[in-house]
Amino acid sequence: MAQWKPSGLGPEFTYDLSELKKVDPALIHYEQAASVPTGMMKPKAIAVGADRRLFVAGDGGVRVFDPAGKPVLQFETGGEPHCIALGKTGTVYVGMKDHVEVYDASGKRAAAWKGLGERAYVTSLAVGEADVFVADAGNRVLLRYDTSGKLLKRIGEEDAAKHAPGLVVPSPYFDVALGPEGMLWLVNPGRRRVECYTYDGAFRFAWGKFSMKVEGFCGCCNPTHLAIDADGNFITSEKGLPRVKVHDDEGNFKSVVAAPADFADGTVGLDLAVDAKGRILVLDPKRRAVRIFVKKRS
Amino acid sequence: MPTDNTTNNKTTRRNLFRKGGLAAGAAVVTGTAATLAAKGRSDGTVWQIDPEKCIQCGNCATYCVLDPSAVTCVHALKLCGYCDLCFAYFSPGFEPEAGIEAPAVESQLCPTEAIKRRWIEGPHYEYTIDEELCIGCGKCIKGCNNFGNGSLFLQVMHDRCVNCNECSIAEACPSDAFQRVPANHPYLLKGEDH
Repeated sequence: MAQWKPSGLGPEFTYDLSELKKVDPALIHYEQAASVPTGMMKPKAIAVGADRRLFVAGDGGVRVFDPAGKPVLQFETGGEPHCIALGKTGTVYVGMKDHVEVYDASGKRAAAWKGLGERAYVTSLAVGEADVFVADAGNRVLLRYDTSGKLLKRIGEEDAAKHAPGLVVPSPYFDVALGPEGMLWLVNPGRRRVECYTYDGAFRFAWGKFSMKVEGFCGCCNPTHLAIDADGNFITSEKGLPRVKVHDDEGNFKSVVAAPADFADGTVGLDLAVDAKGRILVLDPKRRAVRIFVKKRS
Repeated sequence: MPTDNTTNNKTTRRNLFRKGGLAAGAAVVTGTAATLAAKGRSDGTVWQIDPEKCIQCGNCATYCVLDPSAVTCVHALKLCGYCDLCFAYFSPGFEPEAGIEAPAVESQLCPTEAIKRRWIEGPHYEYTIDEELCIGCGKCIKGCNNFGNGSLFLQVMHDRCVNCNECSIAEACPSDAFQRVPANHPYLLKGEDH
């Protein structure tokens, strides 16, 4: 390999994000309390159960950790998992590229749902009382199923008759989450906002705006991931400027959980979860660990 | 993409990737195979950049024996998100208070204004590289890799490269991204199997 030689190009050719990565320390209201090594080469997604057990999907399977971070269960999936969500009865839903697989609490496969086609690229799942929502970035649609895998509704598609412009999903990051009262929220990343829909697919309202500043969503398509805590606060993560933030239940910026300085260059895919204690769990693929953040005491 | 080999067998830098994307790259291979075979060393190889190894150090712009460099940015439209706010096009500090339709020069990332864009529909824009203006510095690629899908990348353009035995860019490349590839398959394009 050649020794490093300077290019001789002028300063206008320098690409520098250092100023944009700076965050006012007063806005950072969280600190890392723990980290759980996933033991995976490519961890992709996380979910946390009501019992605070942590589920990590990646490397062709799922690993389960107890609240202390000790591995307690491991099982393989029928391919490379993209996302994971948990039902209240302990059922584990795993999103593969083009379909959903269902596992019981012991890791035994109970079902594999019908494929979504060649263009499908499943990126997120959310499970309600009787519904399973599947975000398909490839087809730019949110699919609503019942828990048996019957398709009930297609949400977010372009519909000229209803003046619905359709979702803008430029990259394979398209997240969905359910709020504390079952409200359905999904990210419309190309519009840099979070949108609320009824279960029948009617658009309700949205919040979010583009800005490289900390109160906005940066870049071409963000946020990449979304979680909602028991009080309805939104936790978001972004790529480009990797950062995790909290917005209140009306979308107003509240605080920073983790700033770009907390992540290695090129970090992307910061999947999120909130546990029953209100701790924010952040999957850090570069560190191959789940980092757990709590509110600072002061 | 049709190639008229009877009237103009020389693929110019201007028309090489005019339409961007991978189809253009395939046409280049067809249109210039004979020329490349002649340029290639006795082992039938030419220089090319592996996009997966390239770190956009800027040396491609300044170490080539040609001026401008034989290296330029290429766009794999198949991978592009066609975003309205593309941060390979806009400088990182851009805030669109004044709208995005006619951004000021200082709002653009490319120091030579080599990235052009045109509105397609809704919030979607198409981005293309003006090869006459691109000097191969790789700055836009850093923006694309950081915020976007990584659809921009550098390639040695074989209508210009003189295929030196000792390529001066390859000698200055800090990431071993320069490599010899078969002259009849001279491009390493993203989003395609080779």
